[in-house]
Amino acid sequence: MQHTISFTHNNKQASVKIPTGALLSDAAHLAGIDIGQPCGGQGRCGRCAVQVMEGTVRRRSTLRLSPEDVEQGYALACQTVVEGDVAIYVPPQEKIERRLTTDRVVAEVTVPEEYEYLQDQTVRRIHLELTPPSMDDQTDDWARLQTAFRLQHRFENVTCSLNLLQKMGKILREGDWNVTAVVDVKNVIESYETDRPIRLLDLQPGMVDEYSPLWGTAIDIGTTTVTLWLVDMVNGQVKAQVAEYNGQIARGEDVISRIIYASKNGGGQDLRQRVLDSINSLLETACKRVNAKAENVVKATISGNSTMMHLLLGIPAENIRLSPFITAVNHPPILTARDIGLNTNPEASVDCLPGVASYVGADITAGVLSSGVNVMDEVTLFLDVGTNGETVLGNRDWLVTCACSAGPAFEGAGVVNGMRATQGAIEEVWINSDTLEPTYRVIGGGKPKGICGSGLIALLSEAFLTGILDKAGNVNLMAGSSRVREGAHGGEYVVAWGVESESGEDIVLSRVDVDNLLRAKAAIYAGFTVLAETVGISLEGVSKVLVGGSFGKYINVEKAVQIGLLPDMDWSRFEFLGNTSVKGAYYALLDWRKREQVTEIAKRMTYIELSADNSFYEAFTSALFLPHTDLSKFPSVVEALTSKVEDQTSE
Amino acid sequence: MIASAGLDMADERRLLDSPCNDIDETPEEHMPIEIPKDKWPGNIRSITIGATSAEGGTRAKAVTVGGGTTMPYLQFEAPTTNKPVIAIEIKSRKPDDWSPLLAEVWGEAMNDPAQWAKKAQEAGADLIVLALTVEDSVEDAVKVVKSVLSATGLPLIVWGPGQMEKDNELLVPISEAAKGEKLVLGICEDKNYRTIVATAMANGHLVQARAPMDVNLSKQLNILISDMGMPKDRILMDPTTGALGYGIEYGYSVMERLRLAALQGDAMTQFPMIVTPGFEAWKTKESKVGEGVPEAWGDWITRAIHWETITALSLVESGADIIVLRHPESVNRIKEAVEELITA
Repeated sequence: MQHTISFTHNNKQASVKIPTGALLSDAAHLAGIDIGQPCGGQGRCGRCAVQVMEGTVRRRSTLRLSPEDVEQGYALACQTVVEGDVAIYVPPQEKIERRLTTDRVVAEVTVPEEYEYLQDQTVRRIHLELTPPSMDDQTDDWARLQTAFRLQHRFENVTCSLNLLQKMGKILREGDWNVTAVVDVKNVIESYETDRPIRLLDLQPGMVDEYSPLWGTAIDIGTTTVTLWLVDMVNGQVKAQVAEYNGQIARGEDVISRIIYASKNGGGQDLRQRVLDSINSLLETACKRVNAKAENVVKATISGNSTMMHLLLGIPAENIRLSPFITAVNHPPILTARDIGLNTNPEASVDCLPGVASYVGADITAGVLSSGVNVMDEVTLFLDVGTNGETVLGNRDWLVTCACSAGPAFEGAGVVNGMRATQGAIEEVWINSDTLEPTYRVIGGGKPKGICGSGLIALLSEAFLTGILDKAGNVNLMAGSSRVREGAHGGEYVVAWGVESESGEDIVLSRVDVDNLLRAKAAIYAGFTVLAETVGISLEGVSKVLVGGSFGKYINVEKAVQIGLLPDMDWSRFEFLGNTSVKGAYYALLDWRKREQVTEIAKRMTYIELSADNSFYEAFTSALFLPHTDLSKFPSVVEALTSKVEDQTSE
Repeated sequence: MIASAGLDMADERRLLDSPCNDIDETPEEHMPIEIPKDKWPGNIRSITIGATSAEGGTRAKAVTVGGGTTMPYLQFEAPTTNKPVIAIEIKSRKPDDWSPLLAEVWGEAMNDPAQWAKKAQEAGADLIVLALTVEDSVEDAVKVVKSVLSATGLPLIVWGPGQMEKDNELLVPISEAAKGEKLVLGICEDKNYRTIVATAMANGHLVQARAPMDVNLSKQLNILISDMGMPKDRILMDPTTGALGYGIEYGYSVMERLRLAALQGDAMTQFPMIVTPGFEAWKTKESKVGEGVPEAWGDWITRAIHWETITALSLVESGADIIVLRHPESVNRIKEAVEELITA
């Protein structure tokens, strides 16, 4: 019996006739409507959801759809059988993705609501009108400027660098004794005493528009990725966000190998220069993007792990590696860009955020600030999925933290075809379990260049669920597809053939990549489980899991659970925060009270050393499996695996 | 006794000071002491190796191992279900790297695996382990397995030479040629288990699953093998043996933990354990070398057999079910020791 299916898609109508028992996806295909089916029409991804406006259908599966969705008529086109005439609305793809319960997209950064430049910002731009000198008034330029500060703004103690002194006379006269000064008033704000020293950062002739941008930058120096945000400190807006691999990677992938390299002859200087080059090139890119000049950037707030901070500052770091693991400095004083070597305004105030210990640095204190773990009522778990997997557990009353070396795999480094989450990165993968053919999505939509962290998570999970990988990560060469083959380093799976890729070469997931990913996820999982055990909290008792990391702009939590990176709990408890370290640096850059909170957080955190006994190692080896040696910890994955087996047997 | 009895310091002093306190310390009869018994939710699987003609094979009898319901030899909790069995290791061709002491005791038989297997049976073996070598061709290997099978009625364990590709190349045809015999094929490791498991499944054999002295890794390999569809009564767990002085304490402790996990109900650790003290002990300098060693080491042959025996006995006590040995004297001693453990 034939039925009429009418579709509404992109404001267009189409209708087709199709017999009883056909699938809605077949009808759509017949009508020439392209409904995405990344999972190959197996009802696993939920991307083919459509809305049944009239008529009735039979849903074979509603996986991925909430009861409310079904109530509103949503149905998976690939799993829905035609039994009569129906009218179907095909929503735009973005709308569907927003509905999916599995996907967590990093929230866009917004200016903190309460931000008030004149109250919160330690760097100010102030306008000064000086009395021009004359034969009767023989006061020198510098004293004249100081007088103006005192009389017009009650700043009694202004200090100034030699560099500015050298330029001062010219600037004052150029502006006809009308100047705009940029000063760091931190000391005065914090103490409310006007005679505390304030530092002159910049002097410009004439009166600069009050609302024109006053540039600052928030920087996160990750072991693998350096991230820089360019911020207009007047309105607080982030005007440019840029990131690049840390140039130090060429000298070792983890902090330990960097420290060893730094302690060798000239190594420290080399590493310092490399990270400076990375930062300065990012600064240039960001400034170019918004038509700003790097020399107008007058404040920088830097976050990063303790080793990165030491290496940036050229401070010997070897004691971080040697027992009893003591840093040279956890809380550096405010420095100037000239001292450090940043290509901002040389007088710019550089604030390196405080860390806690050798392996819990400012990246974590900043992460706690931006994630808000420290103000939560209920026990919250904060995971930073970075090269050093750092974990914080706690709430407003207590905070414990630990760190473990996870490696850079989730940032796309140390993986043959890995890359950062930028243009050309495969960020999502589905594999059809019958044909083992993949469907992927590329950032920017062009040809794929490689795979970023979120893509690797999805790929690992799909390869596991479709039997390409066994639970130990071995590639099953008997899987029955030309995409599964023996590669240079053992078995591999071809995600994109050379003809599809940007470089013309196959994009693969190799056995070595799988091992690196497994180690990374196992370290992170072991870190937070051992931390929770140490303080006697079961993961069930954790109300929220906040995930930070640079693996992409989104994470599919279901996939992350399936590989055993995240604990198997209700997906609604996960939030993805993106790079929490740079976000924390951004808050601290804007608001001196937030900055004080970071110091407070650093003081409050209790560090748990995971190497103190062998419980971490135990937890690590048992997590070194897909999803975990103890399957009872992952009931949803067991279910996914069994339903897959049932599918196969029913066919 | 005093400190734990909830007395305060003053009480304590009074008791200590008084020359004859008034507590009657001479009970007429002994109180009956009840030894606490652990109740475990899980137990070790009973697994049978070898098939008689009634079961489709040609073995004179099958050997059943495992079945333990308590920690090893706690007879007051439950009698030992199946006592541990001894396998003697023979090679498909005369080894040139074995201790001269072993060559001495096995003599000419080492040149003929069938003869060797017979002698091993006479020496008290419950099973034979036949270890193949890289020099064996597929034809050689199948032939030697057949000749050993016809030489004795004991169940047979066959080890590949220990190189992934060669193992697979030899074990598949052997598995097919000995279909139905319920051999044990080994050794499966996490990087190379698929082929061996697949052929064992198809031909009704068992597999030996070896993981490097780690509870989690053992469990992981057992999961991988079960995931392929291998029935759980056809897997033996090899936790990897370290000889006395060469890591035995690690092996011991891992085996103890595997047993505890099994008794606690973890299905993926409930497999009987096979250990290889013969192979490991005879690798050590103490057993292999007779000359140029300190005098304090004593008589070579005594020392070498002690080394194998003590290694093996330690593993028996931590719950091993199949003990693979090399020297007949060690076989005698371990059999004796097991009897004592069971009847004690």
